[in-house]
Amino acid sequence: MTDDLDPLRRVRPDRLQPDDPPDPAVLAEERERLMSAIDQNVNPDTGRRFPSIYPRIAYRNEVAAIEFLTRVFGFREWRESRMENETGTLAWLEVGDGVVMIGRAGPEHHDLSSPADIAGANTCMVNVYVDDVDAHHARAVGEGARIVMDLEDMFWGDRRYEALDLEGHRWHFGERLSHVRERRGRDEA
Amino acid sequence: MEDPTDAAMIAASLADPASFAPIFDRHAATVLRFLIRRVGPDAADGLVGETFRIAFERRASYDLDRPCARPWLYGIATNVLARHRRAEGRRLAALSRLAGRARVDTPAAETAEARADALDLWPRVAATIAGLPPGERDALLLYAWEDLGYDDIAHALGIPVGTVRSRLNRARTRLRAVREPVAPGGEQPSTPTEDRGRIGP
Repeated sequence: MTDDLDPLRRVRPDRLQPDDPPDPAVLAEERERLMSAIDQNVNPDTGRRFPSIYPRIAYRNEVAAIEFLTRVFGFREWRESRMENETGTLAWLEVGDGVVMIGRAGPEHHDLSSPADIAGANTCMVNVYVDDVDAHHARAVGEGARIVMDLEDMFWGDRRYEALDLEGHRWHFGERLSHVRERRGRDEA
Repeated sequence: MEDPTDAAMIAASLADPASFAPIFDRHAATVLRFLIRRVGPDAADGLVGETFRIAFERRASYDLDRPCARPWLYGIATNVLARHRRAEGRRLAALSRLAGRARVDTPAAETAEARADALDLWPRVAATIAGLPPGERDALLLYAWEDLGYDDIAHALGIPVGTVRSRLNRARTRLRAVREPVAPGGEQPSTPTEDRGRIGP
């Protein structure tokens, strides 16, 4: 083929200067990850099975919620899993070994409501253990989360705080006090 | 006996997920080479797996009238790339530098004009690619680098064939502008150098 796109064809990167050819080991490894994900229902990024319980949380603006939860609370999205439809986006956010599904609220979406639809009421709270609740709290405050219970050591052995997200879902973030002591010991050492 | 088509394997994989393996075996190397061309080898390695995992999850929506899955996979890989525009920008900037150096290796048999052409043109073509709107760049590179036809590009990108044609025409016009000499006192028609390697808004 000869036409006015020839200059472009000539700068095709592998013609300009061949890269190392695709590494067969890369393909073999990716194939194994793919097949293992297909066979065993594991998250290929972590190699862990999907958790047995994974709440689905509904928002009027689920895309804004995904942005908020990843930025403010540090959840990590399984980007390859996101499903975008005209009727709403579905996303899976991972924290530690847990997962939450984020979707749109409404009668056509499992009849779930956002607190923003029901005068700020909540019918559940999601509890999350994090590695360093002090750092987590600082990040959430810095990014503008509404803190509704301050960071505090509790009698049952957790250090915890509670925060509301964009639409008023209530999140409880905690760390075992034994872990807090161990962490602080390490920091001082 | 002929091997079953991609469409047949994808249909079978709905009931038996392991039947999806041949889709990877047949096309993964091609998809990986495409990703390497666009974002370089380091970034491409992870993206090839992501592309096929998405393909697997979306296999129920595959158009079974299309025996070969390659355009569909190119489309998914293109969507994956859309989240890595920055890596693509770095790749194109590196490509510009490569192109500048590549003249050294031009065979002696080529004319001085061709060498000058290589020196001047290649980095500017790369910079022009970097400055194209993503939709035009995607269509253009599937056509010129991957040798897909209009119909396959339309299928890959999920747009009408007429849109493929108009995107390619616009991209060609921009590329032609790169080759035309600068009018005396006129502005350089190609992408300004400060845009080189920068992608999107």
